[in-house]
Amino acid sequence: MNRILLIAKRDYLQTILSKAYLVGLVLVPLLIGASFLVTSLAVRGNAKDQHIAIIDHTGVAASTVIQSAEELSRRALSGPGVPNAPGGVRVMPRFIFEQVQPEADEKAQLLSLSDRIRKGELVLVVDISAEVLQPPDPGDAAAAKDLVRFYSNSSALNPSGLSLSSAVNDGLRRVRLSQLGIDPARAPEVLRDVPVVSVGLLTQDPATGKILGGEKTNAVQAAAVPIFLAVLLMVVVLAGSAPHLGAVAEDKMQRVFEMLLCSASSFELMMGKVLASLGTSLTSSIFYILAGLAVLAGMAVFGLAPLDLLPWFFVYLIADVVMLSAWSVALGSACSTPQDAQSLAFLLVLPIMIPMLMLTPILQQPNGALSTAMSFIPPFTPMIMLLRQAMPGGVPWWQPWVGLIGTIVFAAAVIWAAARIFRIGILSQGKAPKLAELAQWVVRG
Amino acid sequence: MSAVEISSVTKTFGDVTAVDNLSLTVPDGAVYGFIGPNGSGKSTTMRMIANIFYPDSGTIQVFGKARSGTRSADIGYLPEERGVYRKMKVRALLEFYGELRGGRNVTAQVNSWLDRVGLANRADDKVETLSKGMSQKVQFIATVIPEPKLLILDEPFTGLDPVSADSIRSAVIDMRKRGCTIILSTHDMGVAESLCDSIFMIFRGKKMLDGSLASIQASYGSDTIRVEVEGRAALGELPGIERINDLGQVQELRMTEGCDPQQVLHALASRARIASFSVVKPSLHDIFVRIAGPQPEEAPVE
Repeated sequence: MNRILLIAKRDYLQTILSKAYLVGLVLVPLLIGASFLVTSLAVRGNAKDQHIAIIDHTGVAASTVIQSAEELSRRALSGPGVPNAPGGVRVMPRFIFEQVQPEADEKAQLLSLSDRIRKGELVLVVDISAEVLQPPDPGDAAAAKDLVRFYSNSSALNPSGLSLSSAVNDGLRRVRLSQLGIDPARAPEVLRDVPVVSVGLLTQDPATGKILGGEKTNAVQAAAVPIFLAVLLMVVVLAGSAPHLGAVAEDKMQRVFEMLLCSASSFELMMGKVLASLGTSLTSSIFYILAGLAVLAGMAVFGLAPLDLLPWFFVYLIADVVMLSAWSVALGSACSTPQDAQSLAFLLVLPIMIPMLMLTPILQQPNGALSTAMSFIPPFTPMIMLLRQAMPGGVPWWQPWVGLIGTIVFAAAVIWAAARIFRIGILSQGKAPKLAELAQWVVRG
Repeated sequence: MSAVEISSVTKTFGDVTAVDNLSLTVPDGAVYGFIGPNGSGKSTTMRMIANIFYPDSGTIQVFGKARSGTRSADIGYLPEERGVYRKMKVRALLEFYGELRGGRNVTAQVNSWLDRVGLANRADDKVETLSKGMSQKVQFIATVIPEPKLLILDEPFTGLDPVSADSIRSAVIDMRKRGCTIILSTHDMGVAESLCDSIFMIFRGKKMLDGSLASIQASYGSDTIRVEVEGRAALGELPGIERINDLGQVQELRMTEGCDPQQVLHALASRARIASFSVVKPSLHDIFVRIAGPQPEEAPVE
């Protein structure tokens, strides 16, 4: 055990005192922060005036649609936390409409307006068809038709297009209500949105019988906290384990291992490296978590911190790092050069990338069959189970424990297999073995 | 007590038998030279003694204890293809290797050895900044801290300049005087003859020679004539000579069994002027070549 600790200490200090580690430790959060800042600035940049031409084939809808869009702009400018105009922070574009009468040659008119968009005079042309006030049943596929068209130079998903579609629909509903004899002045009252909130499930305290829970869930907490935890887990696990792949191949190329093997067994060498990875990952994660908590405290939203999940975070971190770093050390030992190691990197990244690719379906249905099943597959358990636990509502109490037991058993198997590969790999020469040969090393030992 | 006792050990790698039913005893306190051509099984045998490889069959005992997968602070091993962490500083590296093997603080020994080999002023430099000779000295020190009872050196002098080689040779002799058993492999027959008490030769996995230089030479008898003549053409087709080993200024003639050196001297004197003529035992180099070189049918008499 002393030898394992001695090897771990050397590798750990070598890593955390390196410039690359220290720069990376600070640079990663800075880059993530910078990306949020750039996104925020980009959104604000899009909040400038938008000149829009509107062709109304109904003859009655345009003015109401314009009125609805202007109200939407005003609401956005006086929303919670947004100072009233003038001088307020504009969070969405202001629409400046230019009503254009439909011409007989519809295509020629649209071409002319398209040219104005290309010149930058307009950002959008809204073409409202005559049938828009009597839309067909949405279930009637045969009658389906594009009743309102947005012509623009950018994607249909641009922010101005999305907010404007809401204004167009709102305006058209008001026209229909008016045609049904309802006073247009009362339309906003009829169409007013009401706040809808998400609430967590209720539980009963078995000791006191008191009913608990039923508290509002925060939208930020619902998505941002699980994503943050999963991304943090991914970053620190990869940062702790992946460097072994090239470093072990490099040490093997430099013939470092044979001298060490007289003093320590191959298993001790490997476990020393695994332990060093664990130390590196724990150091990074503690740094990031403390920094995150400080930021939340500074923003007076410390309540968003998922403190109850932190023990699970560290348990999963340990399991994941042990699994992946043992695997990384084994793969590195099988390679003759760091270049060989690069070709095997996908085998290391796979257990991390698959859960990340599943992020969206898991966030949409954390307790769906797919999410639940994947969270019990040991290489994926740390990340997916943590994601599910972090979502509002959580998971049944037994699931993390079952997942953890499976992960521990799997991690033990990975260490066993990795040790057998490592023992042969560090003294082998020649080209990197294929996967089938690695499997043979595991079986034969 | 013997330091190393190898009994009927066989080691194979796939279809290749690297060591074939080998038995060998290395006495305590001896300097034992392992010789043999490349790929003959020297390094594999050393690795098995150092517990890096395990024999397929047979047993190896070191100081009376069977090697069982555990590491011992009593054994120092310098492999043929050796490297150390190049990014580490010299002193930190040596302390790491020493503590790893010995399990205790070795700072005093590190300082002493650095002084001895003239590297004290480079103790805080990174290994990658050292010259090749200095780096090899550092590797040697890493092998002998803490001082082992058995030191295994696989070609320790390869690539060293004469000054560095002398420094290592002197350290080896001092350690031997202090009772350390030393096993070293070499391709330099001069080193084996001058430094080793006993010599073991392995060829194609099998033991070919084992004993002191004198006993090995005695087993071959005085079948060699060392001669200096004017004009090498005179050496052609001499009676009773089966092989000529041209060493440049001197030629070694190997006699067939029953050949009379006097007849060779007469024949040679009638052909050329002789500067020197002596009947000697074969050198270790010659014995090595007889065992591992091309067979007579492969290399006819010149």
